[in-house]
Amino acid sequence: MSKIAYIKPDSVGDAIEILADKGSSAAIIAGGTDVMVDLRSGEITPEYLVDISRLEELKGIRMENDELVIGAGVTLSEIYNSDLLAEYAPALKKSAYNFASAQIRNIATIGGNVAHCSPCGDTIPPLVIHEAEVLLSGKDGQKRIPIEQVATGPYRSFLEPHELITAFVLKPRKAAFADFKKIGRRKDLAISRLSMAVMIDKSDDGTISFMRFSLGACTPTPHRMIPVEEFMVGKKPTEKLLFEGGRLLAESMIEITGRRPSIIYKEPAVQGLFVRMLHPVVN
Amino acid sequence: MEQQFRVVGNSVPRSCSKAKVTGEIKFAADIKLDNSLVLKTKRSDQPHALIRSINVEKALAVEGVRSVFTARDIPGKNLLGIINKDQPLLAEDRVRSLADAVALVVADTEEAAERGAAAVEVEYQELEAVFDPVEALKEGAVQVHEKGNLLSCRKVVKGDVEAAFTSAYSVIEKEYTTSSIEHNYIEPDAGAGYVDENGCLVIYASTQNPHYDHKEVVGLLGVADDEVRIIQATTGGGFGSKLDLNVQGFIGLALYHLKCPVRYVYSREEAYLATAKRHPFVIRVKTATDKDGRFIALQMRAVCNTGAYGSYGMAVASRSAVHATGPYAIENVDVDVKCVYTNQTFCGAMRGFGAPQMALAHESQMDLHAQALGLDPLAIRRINGLRAGQTSATGQLLTASVGFQDCLDAVAPYYEDAKENWLSAPTDPFKRRGIGIGGMWYGIGNTGVQNPSTARVEMSPEGKVTVFTGCADIGQGSTTILAQITAEVLGLGHDDITMVVGDTGCTTNAGATSASRQTYISGNAVKDGAEKLANVLLTEAVDRLRAPKNSLHFVDGHVAVSIAPEIRVSVAKLAKRIHDKGGTLSWQGFFDPETVPLDPETGEGVPYATYAYACHMAQVEVDVLTGEVDVKRIVAAHDVGHALHPGNVVGQICGGVAMGVGFALMEEFEPGKTESMKDYHVPTVSDVPEVVPIIIESPEPSGPFGAKGVGEPALIPTAPAIINGISSALNKRIYDLPANLERVIEASIQAGHFRVQE
Ligand SMILES: Cc1cc2nc3c(=O)[nH]c(=O)nc-3n(C[C@H](O)[C@H](O)[C@H](O)COP(=O)(O)OP(=O)(O)OC[C@H]3O[C@@H](n4cnc5c(N)ncnc54)[C@H](O)[C@@H]3O)c2cc1C
Repeated sequence: MSKIAYIKPDSVGDAIEILADKGSSAAIIAGGTDVMVDLRSGEITPEYLVDISRLEELKGIRMENDELVIGAGVTLSEIYNSDLLAEYAPALKKSAYNFASAQIRNIATIGGNVAHCSPCGDTIPPLVIHEAEVLLSGKDGQKRIPIEQVATGPYRSFLEPHELITAFVLKPRKAAFADFKKIGRRKDLAISRLSMAVMIDKSDDGTISFMRFSLGACTPTPHRMIPVEEFMVGKKPTEKLLFEGGRLLAESMIEITGRRPSIIYKEPAVQGLFVRMLHPVVN
Repeated sequence: MEQQFRVVGNSVPRSCSKAKVTGEIKFAADIKLDNSLVLKTKRSDQPHALIRSINVEKALAVEGVRSVFTARDIPGKNLLGIINKDQPLLAEDRVRSLADAVALVVADTEEAAERGAAAVEVEYQELEAVFDPVEALKEGAVQVHEKGNLLSCRKVVKGDVEAAFTSAYSVIEKEYTTSSIEHNYIEPDAGAGYVDENGCLVIYASTQNPHYDHKEVVGLLGVADDEVRIIQATTGGGFGSKLDLNVQGFIGLALYHLKCPVRYVYSREEAYLATAKRHPFVIRVKTATDKDGRFIALQMRAVCNTGAYGSYGMAVASRSAVHATGPYAIENVDVDVKCVYTNQTFCGAMRGFGAPQMALAHESQMDLHAQALGLDPLAIRRINGLRAGQTSATGQLLTASVGFQDCLDAVAPYYEDAKENWLSAPTDPFKRRGIGIGGMWYGIGNTGVQNPSTARVEMSPEGKVTVFTGCADIGQGSTTILAQITAEVLGLGHDDITMVVGDTGCTTNAGATSASRQTYISGNAVKDGAEKLANVLLTEAVDRLRAPKNSLHFVDGHVAVSIAPEIRVSVAKLAKRIHDKGGTLSWQGFFDPETVPLDPETGEGVPYATYAYACHMAQVEVDVLTGEVDVKRIVAAHDVGHALHPGNVVGQICGGVAMGVGFALMEEFEPGKTESMKDYHVPTVSDVPEVVPIIIESPEPSGPFGAKGVGEPALIPTAPAIINGISSALNKRIYDLPANLERVIEASIQAGHFRVQE
């Protein structure tokens, strides 16, 4: 690692100014749990690190006008411990349970997780099912874009060098059933081989009346799987239906990715995890 | 035990534990010598190539670079290896793997060293490379070494397998494979050195065998024995990989030329790239039983891939052949294990030396036969399990301390209970439970070769005892146990003994900390020295107490008359008297286990003086939808002879189980691909099951106070127990390690579990 200047702005405005000035020679650092890894491997070679981790403006989880707002600087531990999220975005909260390790959760931020644009970012599928919008601040002012547009490909971001995520705005929902699940190569400290998030409500007759579903780690960027949602809605959940939904999910995934070698595992596992995750809604 | 012991058998506080917990202790990377220069090697980027030229000019031009050395700068013999010498410290005319070092850069700083290494220009002529050991044995295959790709072959032949197969009730033939494994010790290799006022090159190193390092560095530099001194720094684990020369040779070479302090600390990436791995095996095995489930024949053809260099490969092949039968009596045996060179990263010693790979095969076969005959897995092991009075495949009569049946008995109640209450308990419809048994035996010490240990036990005229031993404590606790043994003999407390460990300047050779040999072999050497010292003290006491020698014993720093303990004299007084009379208070101890070399054609012989035995039971839950395996519990019974430090034994068992979980489910080193812990998964604490350690004591008559060893045995039965558990959960067997997500889900699908259950 060569010498890098470390800059700690006092406000978001200040940060944007610095970022605009330094251009692509600067990198934002929040928790640093991706940035430090990328620095060591030589993946990134910035001259400046702009530390936004202590900016109060990026903190906090709150309800604002029926919208659930999560600051980009909120850590995974804060997500893990949030009562508000337990109520209005439980799948997001669950995504923090098996996220890395306690030490990493204490510093890693949701903003960093999304901005890093890893296909395996664990908070992304839950954000997707809440149809989250991303608040960006840049030298030209503020923008609001859908979460699915942040990544243009694996590790490729839509953001301009002078832009900063300040918050995520979610549609809160107390769904009857919500969950996040992932599969890794071990139980802790594992990057997702696949992950998924779901919310389901049922009608009085037991049929699925509402469903949001997102798949992570399998496609170049996490996706809401609308064909799967449409297939399931209006039907009574049975084991058989779950296997069929899972099958459709696997097919939709392969349509996006093609048949890569990892598909040998992912094809059945996506279906399997879908069945496992939704099994509690079978009555 | 009938005999009463005061010190051994107690889990006394371990040496250095406080300094380790408080962080005061200095590991090799913590040793900061004034003005020390930093080393870095330029490694090959070719798996197999001729070196056309090495140009170091640009490297020397890098600011902060002091020197760049190549093979030409090595004054002595540029060939290393503990068993066969085939590995150059720095490549001469060719590289044989990506791990090969080509040039050594010495610089002022880490950054300069790194830039210097990057600036060394090597022109290669690429050669075809061979990675598959089976391919490497074929005619016309690329030759990795001039003498051919077959490094060694170990045969064990007894009886007539063909005849047995003809008359057998059940014959089963299968193929098993295991993966290459990275040791992943917590402390990457490191060392530092300086030249002392006498011109001696002093090298601190994280090592498992300082006296071997010494011999190797002396040979490399072509200097006299007293011109090199190796001091073992506190070592953060090794698991076999720190038996090879890692940083020591580079430090020696730089000291030799530059005469100023240097240090070399591997990054995790370099430790992954450049140090030995566990040998991957391909094992074809055919076994036969009679109608009662008695194994009557075993035929095996196995190939182990040693990569570019031998390291401990020949020992791994040899030990695996001897351990092919597992802890079972089989009359007709025909085993052939070949150790083969390829262009992979070299493989060497790793906890178990081939026995863990064999255990996958013999324990799977055991279960397959049980299934074929409708026998219970525990029952078939009872039928076949070794007992004292039986003869092994190498023709060795096992006379005592054969505790395998005791291990089975100890596991049995847990097994019955799990079958009754856990196996069929309601669980998730898509999770299946299984119970697996794994057995093992393990010969203590090196295979059919001399492997002595020595130690010096010294008493000062004031009665203070110091033990000098070359035995490297790498975290397993040998220093504590050697102090306990000395204290037991001399009637002192373990903390009355000063231990001087692993310093070739003042300790004598204790051999490697490997092969689970140090408690048994170095323990005996220390005991021998202590007993010689005790003898002169007793002789002196006879004179003082006017009582015959056999009526005296040591107690609390005194020699006392056994029937009248108030008649006593302090050891210090005795020491003073002996000293004043000109007697000697310094005694050299020695022990070499009795072995008989193995016949090259039949393997007949006595490979080890004694064996450890164990049985593990695994309770596993398999997710049939995702391939995830949850190991719930491992019950681990180990016959250790006599547990001199039960806490250490339990520590080894729990650590071994953790490592076994990794071997079974997730670990796989892929040369050229795996770089560090980011892409190599070892179990986390969440992956480690509840462990129920059970210590079985079947005293070994030749062991120090009855002790054998447990370091490697701890790991060996875990993976086969887990695999047998998965197989019974799925009714479908996995033959290849690791049983990762891909393999388990495939087995689940093939077995028809991946479907609607309602
Ligand atoms: C051992 C280990 C285990 C891990 N396990 C997991 C896991 O289980 N699941 C998982 O999803 N991830 C995991 N990660 C990855 C990482 O921890 C997460 O992606 C984390 O959320 C990143 O957040 P951070 O605050 O540390 O980001 P940083 O490393 O500080 O930044 C990451 C990227 O985002 C940019 N950035 C940060 N904040 C902003 C912002 N507000 N606006 C614009 N750009 C920004 C940075 O410039 C950088 O490109 C793991 C990492 C490690 C080292």
